[in-house]
Amino acid sequence: MSESRTEVGADAAALAALQSFLLEFWSKSQLPPATLFPFELALEEVFMNVVMHGSRDRPNVRAEFTLRHEDSWVDLTIRDNGAPFDPLAAPEPDLNAALEDRPIGGLGVHLIRTLMDAVTYSHVDNCNVLVMRKHLDA
Amino acid sequence: MNVTHDTDHKTTTIHATGRLDFEAAGAFQKDLEASIAAAAAAGNAVLIDCATLDYVSSAGLRVFLVGARAAKAANVPFAVYALTAAVKEVFDVSGFGRIIDVLADRASALEKVGRSA
Repeated sequence: MSESRTEVGADAAALAALQSFLLEFWSKSQLPPATLFPFELALEEVFMNVVMHGSRDRPNVRAEFTLRHEDSWVDLTIRDNGAPFDPLAAPEPDLNAALEDRPIGGLGVHLIRTLMDAVTYSHVDNCNVLVMRKHLDA
Repeated sequence: MNVTHDTDHKTTTIHATGRLDFEAAGAFQKDLEASIAAAAAAGNAVLIDCATLDYVSSAGLRVFLVGARAAKAANVPFAVYALTAAVKEVFDVSGFGRIIDVLADRASALEKVGRSA
């Protein structure tokens, strides 16, 4: 079992540091590089939602990231004190819409829901807690 | 992310390398829109070579969508080719293959936009 944790302010400039945090965890836990991508994507999508939406009109929003590896499963948990937002309640985008009608956003949550094996949301102590799990296939 | 261009066969090719994430998306969008405007003036097609593009997030997808719309509005033939596994997965999950021409390699991309190598 291995676990790492980091905390950053809701500022897009922290994205690079979070990417390094993820890479270090993969290296430290000796996880296969080919399994990294869905977590890179989930980390960016969720963090940028906190930056762009969760921290709007709110000072001092922070996000805490926890990575945990056990028994071929990796969990990425993001806890933030931004505006309450349940990504699982967001409607699925219309993937059949024509080029002109495609909404410009809304794909991030769809990507996470599709690429992860399990995503759960809860609102605890005025914080959003999103847990994303994926099995690392051998 | 690193971007280079070349023009040949009445086609501007944008070679995109590295990570198209939120940080890179703004500059890449400006580059792509400028390339499409220049191609429209010159009667060229625009291709994006994704062979060394390792990563794309929804912020990057947005740039492809904006580019495809700009190209269509300007009557510029537009396609992307040689997607890496991660980028292809994101395109597939998002249904982008239905709104953007995605080709396996440069030769088929040139054929798609009406240019033969």
